[in-house]
Amino acid sequence: MSLQSDLKTELVSHLAVSDFTQVVAGTPVRDTLARMRADRQVVCLVVDEDAADESGRRQLVGIFTERDVMRRVIDAAGTLDRPVDEVMTPDPITIGPDASAADALRLMDEIHVRNLPVVDEDGELMGNMTHQAIIQYLADRYPVEVLNRPLDPEQFPRKAEGG
Amino acid sequence: MSTAATEEITLTRKDFISDQTVRWCPGCGDYSILAQMQRILPETGVPKEKTVFISGIGCSSRFPYYMNTYGIHSIHGRAPALATGLAIANPELSIWVITGDGDGLSIGGNHLLHAIRRNVNLNIVLFNNRIYGLTKGQYSPTSRPGTVTKSSPMGSVEQPLNPIAVALAAEATFVARSIDSHPQHLAAILERTAEHQGASFLEVYQNCVIFNPNEWTELSDRRNRDDSILYLEHGKHMIFGKNRDKGIRLNGFTPEVVSLDEVDLDEILVHDATSRPLASILGSMEFPDYPAAMGVIRDVRKPDYGGEMMAQVETAQAQRGAGDLNQLYLAADLWTVEEREEAEEREITPVASDLDEMPITGLDEEYIDEMEKPAEALSEFQDLLVTSTLAALEPNVPITVGKRSSLARTIRQMNRHNIGCVLVTDEEDRLIGIFTEWDVLNRVAGIVDDMAQQRISDYMTPEPLALKADLPIAQALNLMSLHGFRHLPLVDEGGSPSGIISFRDVVGYLNEALEEE
Repeated sequence: MSLQSDLKTELVSHLAVSDFTQVVAGTPVRDTLARMRADRQVVCLVVDEDAADESGRRQLVGIFTERDVMRRVIDAAGTLDRPVDEVMTPDPITIGPDASAADALRLMDEIHVRNLPVVDEDGELMGNMTHQAIIQYLADRYPVEVLNRPLDPEQFPRKAEGG
Repeated sequence: MSTAATEEITLTRKDFISDQTVRWCPGCGDYSILAQMQRILPETGVPKEKTVFISGIGCSSRFPYYMNTYGIHSIHGRAPALATGLAIANPELSIWVITGDGDGLSIGGNHLLHAIRRNVNLNIVLFNNRIYGLTKGQYSPTSRPGTVTKSSPMGSVEQPLNPIAVALAAEATFVARSIDSHPQHLAAILERTAEHQGASFLEVYQNCVIFNPNEWTELSDRRNRDDSILYLEHGKHMIFGKNRDKGIRLNGFTPEVVSLDEVDLDEILVHDATSRPLASILGSMEFPDYPAAMGVIRDVRKPDYGGEMMAQVETAQAQRGAGDLNQLYLAADLWTVEEREEAEEREITPVASDLDEMPITGLDEEYIDEMEKPAEALSEFQDLLVTSTLAALEPNVPITVGKRSSLARTIRQMNRHNIGCVLVTDEEDRLIGIFTEWDVLNRVAGIVDDMAQQRISDYMTPEPLALKADLPIAQALNLMSLHGFRHLPLVDEGGSPSGIISFRDVVGYLNEALEEE
């Protein structure tokens, strides 16, 4: 059983993708950063309330990541008080919750992204797919090999000692 | 009067890791529980010096050595008794009792019952692997009937104890269950266990990789565990299944599993952690007849023993004044035991013993045999995880900066190389820190104005965990999954950076290494 065959049968929605941060379009960069710090998230999805559909569902309009902080915020004075819309990446490529994890991974490699927002067929934002979700899956899938290792890999008790 | 501001010290996971060599078998579920405990304790905000771990005897009971807190590795089964005394004498402490299915339910069954019954303010964690691990594989009080072990060669004929039902029988005010192979769930439930005032009882299904490795297979297999586990949430419907298509309904007094395609949602039970009868029902649902209920089964607030007892002491003192122990002692009937002459004359003859002559290596050899016997049906992929080294990932050459570099220069360098992480080195080119995009977001952007004036050494994460390139990939996965590290530095023998690997490198390599035909 290889990783590939596992990931082909595993749906994106079954991975740990639901922990994400979002702000509404128009939020100042300063407040967006504060939210990301509070949530300890390196990615923030930007949704638009005005463009909400009949059922009031917010539409994903952009993605703002730590890379954007490096490229567009840190050196540009005055950006902090501008709306996040000006420094986000608009209309990111998304994936559906019923896509396989293998497909998601392939797509991430093809278009060179570290984040793939998960959006269902009704346009509802459900999560953010990352490589970390795969790492977490592997740890849970192979606990004996991955999770339950001594902190110091060189130690290996030769004797069962003490009670 | 001076009011010196006390600076709040933020603890991290590292602060709770002791310098002791961990002596559990590689692959043991205890590692996972230890890692999650060390992860959640900083978040509870309780200082190290107010935290105590008390254990009895068994593999799980080695826990206090590995926690950098106060701890007592006590007498077999008696951890709850010691902990009760401590909780009453010092109610400020956060006290954890670590026990196992043998220690807590066999020899220590009585102590456990009474600590729970009294609602002593303790966090009791019972590791249940349904086997005696330390004594090398005899059946335990939770082993299923028919379990074949060294002490039950024809299968156990005993009815096992259900730890949740035992705790409920003692009217535990907090009862929960989790499993070692689901670290996120375990961490969340450990936090709930710590929060509860009074006796908290948490059963953790734990894998004994040597003597009972298949006990929890259905519940720990990541591919289909969600079909076997009912995750409880107060106020939520009891819905489970990988596709959340099954539920629990009551048929008279008996719970039954139903398909949501056939049954309306309003027929499905809603979890109520304050309901005593519901707790009993959930406790009685044994896998595989039912999904295993995980999460907080019962959570109610009742006065705790220490508080009630100390209130009585205070009332008595208010009425009758402070007591005098000496006076109390002298008030009793006293007598003196006279030494008898003949007792002196009796000679004590030492019992002849062959024990010194006996070889004591037998058991250890048996243990090593168990450890080294070829693992059963290790898949090619599992094999790859533990045999393939980090060098096989062909790690990128790391970009390094000196510790005197400015923030501005470092960030320019990261942008120029289009990388998310730099390593910081000292004069002798040894790794002393790591600085990532997250640090920029978290500590610099919109916070630091004069980046050219700031040294990188004040903003980096000092002493990062680093690995050597000859370690297996599983080691990197372990650190990445436990800590969420997205980058791991590699160092050579002299501690100089030799490479850097990321989430993407590891996932990419594993994904391609065993390309299917």
